Amino acid sequence: MMFAIELMLLVPAATALLSLFHSKRNIVAYISVIGSCLGLIVSAMICMPTFLDGRVYDYSLWYVDSLSALFLLIISFIALMVSMYSKGYLDVERREGSLTAKYEHYYYFLLNLFIAVMLSACVVNSMGLLWIIIEGTTLVSAFLVGFYNNEHSTEAAWKYLIICSVGITLALVGISLVYASSIGVITETSSALDWSVLFAAASQLDPTLMRAAMVLIIVGFGTKVGFAPMHTWLPDAHSQAPTPVSALLSAVLLNCAFYSILRFYLISEITIPGFSRVLLLLFGFVSLVVAASFILLSKDIKRMLAYSSIEHMGIIAIGFGIGTPFAIFAALFHMMAHSMTKPIMFFTAGNVIQGYGTRDMESIRGLKENMPYTGFMLTAGTLAIVGAPPFAIFVGEYLTISSIIDAGYWWMAVLMLALILIIFAGFTMHIFPMLGGSTEKEVHEYKSIVRAVPLTILFCTTLFFGLFMPDQVYDCFETIVEKVFGGAL
Amino acid sequence: MDIIIYENLIDIFAVAMLLLSMFAMASSRMFQLIRIFALHSLMLSALAFVVATYSGNSHIYIICVLTLILKVIVIPKFLDYTMEKINMENEIEPLIGIPGSLLLSAVMILIAYVVVEPMIGSLVTIGSNCLALSLSIILIGMLMMVTRTKAMTETVGLLLMENGLFLGAMTISYGMPLIVELGVFFDVLIAVVVTGLFAYRINRTFDSVDTIFLRRLKE
Repeated sequence: MMFAIELMLLVPAATALLSLFHSKRNIVAYISVIGSCLGLIVSAMICMPTFLDGRVYDYSLWYVDSLSALFLLIISFIALMVSMYSKGYLDVERREGSLTAKYEHYYYFLLNLFIAVMLSACVVNSMGLLWIIIEGTTLVSAFLVGFYNNEHSTEAAWKYLIICSVGITLALVGISLVYASSIGVITETSSALDWSVLFAAASQLDPTLMRAAMVLIIVGFGTKVGFAPMHTWLPDAHSQAPTPVSALLSAVLLNCAFYSILRFYLISEITIPGFSRVLLLLFGFVSLVVAASFILLSKDIKRMLAYSSIEHMGIIAIGFGIGTPFAIFAALFHMMAHSMTKPIMFFTAGNVIQGYGTRDMESIRGLKENMPYTGFMLTAGTLAIVGAPPFAIFVGEYLTISSIIDAGYWWMAVLMLALILIIFAGFTMHIFPMLGGSTEKEVHEYKSIVRAVPLTILFCTTLFFGLFMPDQVYDCFETIVEKVFGGAL
Repeated sequence: MDIIIYENLIDIFAVAMLLLSMFAMASSRMFQLIRIFALHSLMLSALAFVVATYSGNSHIYIICVLTLILKVIVIPKFLDYTMEKINMENEIEPLIGIPGSLLLSAVMILIAYVVVEPMIGSLVTIGSNCLALSLSIILIGMLMMVTRTKAMTETVGLLLMENGLFLGAMTISYGMPLIVELGVFFDVLIAVVVTGLFAYRINRTFDSVDTIFLRRLKE
């Protein structure tokens, strides 16, 4: 297929422009949904060959292998869910007067642009361009974070912008060190930052420079992934953004940042084996500890979910930190499971917040009677996100812990299990009281098909991956582990 | 020209950049800070010219011209414009006083030299000793972002960091592939515009560009 990748990027970009310039407000939401549907189809068409026969697209600026394909599929799928939910969410916001109709065009424009930028992060070959695109995601999504234009969201957007820009500047220092380490090894300098070229020459790169570079890159992109202690922008941004955007930030943007770390991780594992694994393990555990303590203290439901994102990014980092083929399999699976589950939580939280008009978990009571569907989904989502069986995250966590034990680090497994249990307790302590009790407020559930459908689809997906591991799916992950990470399961 | 002349010129410009960074930490007026940034960028541009002539890489000339246009002229003009637009007072209010800031900057320079020490041997380019200077400038830029409270000073801090980064990239590897550097320039420009917009927004919402007011989001 010629121009397949260009087409995939063009679809959301065109959707963005269409939604900005289309005159009818109520059509814009549907344009976005149709656009993301198309986007999902195109990316599935690109991704399937990479899984089935290990095809690698490597032409002009692009490089797509099965690892990128996994990320592309997750982005396109979640983008579709978010597009649908946005319609229901924005309708209510407009009715309540927190957003004017004019802003709806602007919202869908930014949303689709954000999706296009994230998709392009996973398909570029040059690591320098990858950096530019990751910084681009910050610049675009800062407007989405500050969308409500009030004190809190402006503060959150400013913090997001500044902290992530600083972090990412450090990553660029790292990238320029990688480039310096390739001098004399790669003669064609204009392509020396291309991942395929760097990876092929990885064993000859200068180890001293690579070591310094990896520290800067993991700290820099790690800021964007939300590794503690560089996570401080994350709870603010996730809690202040409009809820569909929070879901997108948590389920997709963090993955994209992780993708950039993974590309360098792959190179450094050849040049300096084990070095970046230690760093990832360290950040993974620090993130878990920080997330566990803040989840216990949370009052605001969306902040708690943001800390839960930090937790899951930590778990994924631990998986890659262990670095055996089995652990990498676990980490990739966990990443997918997290992306499928977190939007359930954000969408239900969005329903609850719009229904009750508050984010304070202590003043939300009586969900079971007032919002039966949301209540059910919130319960299911909570169980799924804390890793209770039979949901996908359980499988991810189980695989990660067993891979740690397989690698012989008992104490790490115990520590991780203990932290996960604390988070389990924190979540149940905060969420389940919201179901019972009663409230004096006049609360009613906003019923609409565009709210129910994405929740149901996501719920079924996470349940499905919790119960079954079809051979086809297993083969996809196996392809990634074997072809990209070079390990046999 | 003799290689020593090139080396000396590169050193002079790089050291001038570091000194200007210190000067930026010591300045107490916003407009002055913007002028210092412009001068800082001018030094970077001059350094790019020297590196380009020495190494013969034509794409570094492009970087030199772009730095001159964007960072010496356009971005400072834009910052001035934003400042006037939001009627910001000229005063910079540091969280840590100027003597303290300078002392901390000195500590940053020390840290940079210690960190870079083991890497010097791996570098083959002409200005490789500038890596420590570049790292110092980056760290001082970061320090500026942490210790100054106005939204615009944070932007200038980020820009200084970016200049330090370019100094590093230029001296340790004669720049990066052209397409990447162009992209980075584009990004920097957009980032300045976006932060300017948000500074304007902060000013409108809080009636001040002091980011000290941005402390409301917590647990």
